[in-house]
Amino acid sequence: MGVNQPTALEHVLITTKVEKVINWARASSVWPMTFGLACCAIEMMAAGASKFDFDRFGAGIFRATPRQSDLMIVAGTVTYKMAPVIKKLYDQMPEPKWVIAMGSCATAGGPFDSYHTIQGVDKVVPVDVYIPGCPPRPESLIYGFMKLQDKIMTSSIADRYKEIFEEVG
Amino acid sequence: MSEPIEPQVPETAPEALAGPYVYDYAASPQRQIVMPKTVPLPSLKTYQAEVIAAAAADEAKWQKQQADFEVAKAKAEAEGKDAPKPPVRAVPRKDDNDMKTPWPVEAKDADLLKLQELLGDKVEEIFEQAGELVCQVKKEAIFEALKACREEVSLKYEMLADQSATHYPAAKDFAFSVVYHLTSISRSKRLRLRILIPEGFIPQSACELYPSANWMEREIYDMLGIRFAEHPDMTRILCPEDWEGYPLRKEYPTVGWGQRDIDFRDDRGGVLNRLAMEKAGQMGINLKQPKAE
Repeated sequence: MGVNQPTALEHVLITTKVEKVINWARASSVWPMTFGLACCAIEMMAAGASKFDFDRFGAGIFRATPRQSDLMIVAGTVTYKMAPVIKKLYDQMPEPKWVIAMGSCATAGGPFDSYHTIQGVDKVVPVDVYIPGCPPRPESLIYGFMKLQDKIMTSSIADRYKEIFEEVG
Repeated sequence: MSEPIEPQVPETAPEALAGPYVYDYAASPQRQIVMPKTVPLPSLKTYQAEVIAAAAADEAKWQKQQADFEVAKAKAEAEGKDAPKPPVRAVPRKDDNDMKTPWPVEAKDADLLKLQELLGDKVEEIFEQAGELVCQVKKEAIFEALKACREEVSLKYEMLADQSATHYPAAKDFAFSVVYHLTSISRSKRLRLRILIPEGFIPQSACELYPSANWMEREIYDMLGIRFAEHPDMTRILCPEDWEGYPLRKEYPTVGWGQRDIDFRDDRGGVLNRLAMEKAGQMGINLKQPKAE
């Protein structure tokens, strides 16, 4: 009985992994970039407003520059002309960084099976979470964001290192 | 297990592929082009010709019906049978206007008559359709016509509301129509000026008279490849600068020449990287990484 009894030290200390702490910190303060391309941006704004309150998840601070943001929510149609810009903005974001493809246009081109639309933003940047819908409701965006938080919590720095430096090479 | 369906690929590529764009149609049957065969250009002359042709066809059909009746009657008399029923000519219904577009009628509006008086034989055609005024002028005289519309006291069309163009690949003597949608705010009237131009013709720009024509002419150039003379900045406005082809031409496939399938993760052959290096070099920054052994 005395074996499982916590010691006086363990009453005041929590033991965990550094990686877990870092992931927890990252998942609870994901700052998205202000980046709306089409009508999905309206839903993204609604998600940030008081009724849905994106800030509950630590993601309410939409930064106006890629250099201060961790998450790029691609909300809208990605045209051929916009694609190099998205690529440039993504490259300007500091690691660690994540991308959410919001809506059917950003995931697969949507209704625009046409000459000027990139068929999915994953042809430009690597995407972590795809959210279907035309446009998705703020609930969907919040659910997708929670999925991203799960992904961040289960990620490891070693995997990220491999992803960047070994596989892409 | 069913085999995948073989795409139906035409044996010959469409003829009107001008320019350096070569696309493998076997690779994607979606990119096949169906060129239109008719010229649906609204015009009083063509409408009158259509009406005359339709009346002639109706008359020929009636004559044939009567001749057939005479033959059948003679045959019945020879065989001693009852005579067949005589044919009845179909009378067109008076209110048979359902699902028909308004047809062009003779111009009665004072603006059109004034325009014809001012421009003389430079006017090719004037007509009204659904209460809207259309004036087709010679392609060399479009600037003069616009100037008359803008500056003549009795016309006073102050605003160029829209400028549009259409591709007519099946037409013989022209390839494009450019339409100027003019609005007179002071007189609450609208007027359309139209020119028909062949491939390669460079019409005069309207920017000098109507500054709003600047971007609209750039859009026409971007979408259809019509250049305008004396335009201050004749560059693409919607498509990127390195775009190939003109998307609103009829020979342009609906899913494009393959631009949308480009994988930007591959950096388009290092173009973006090279541009970044050049830009950084101009700013005095060395982005080049020292190579490892």
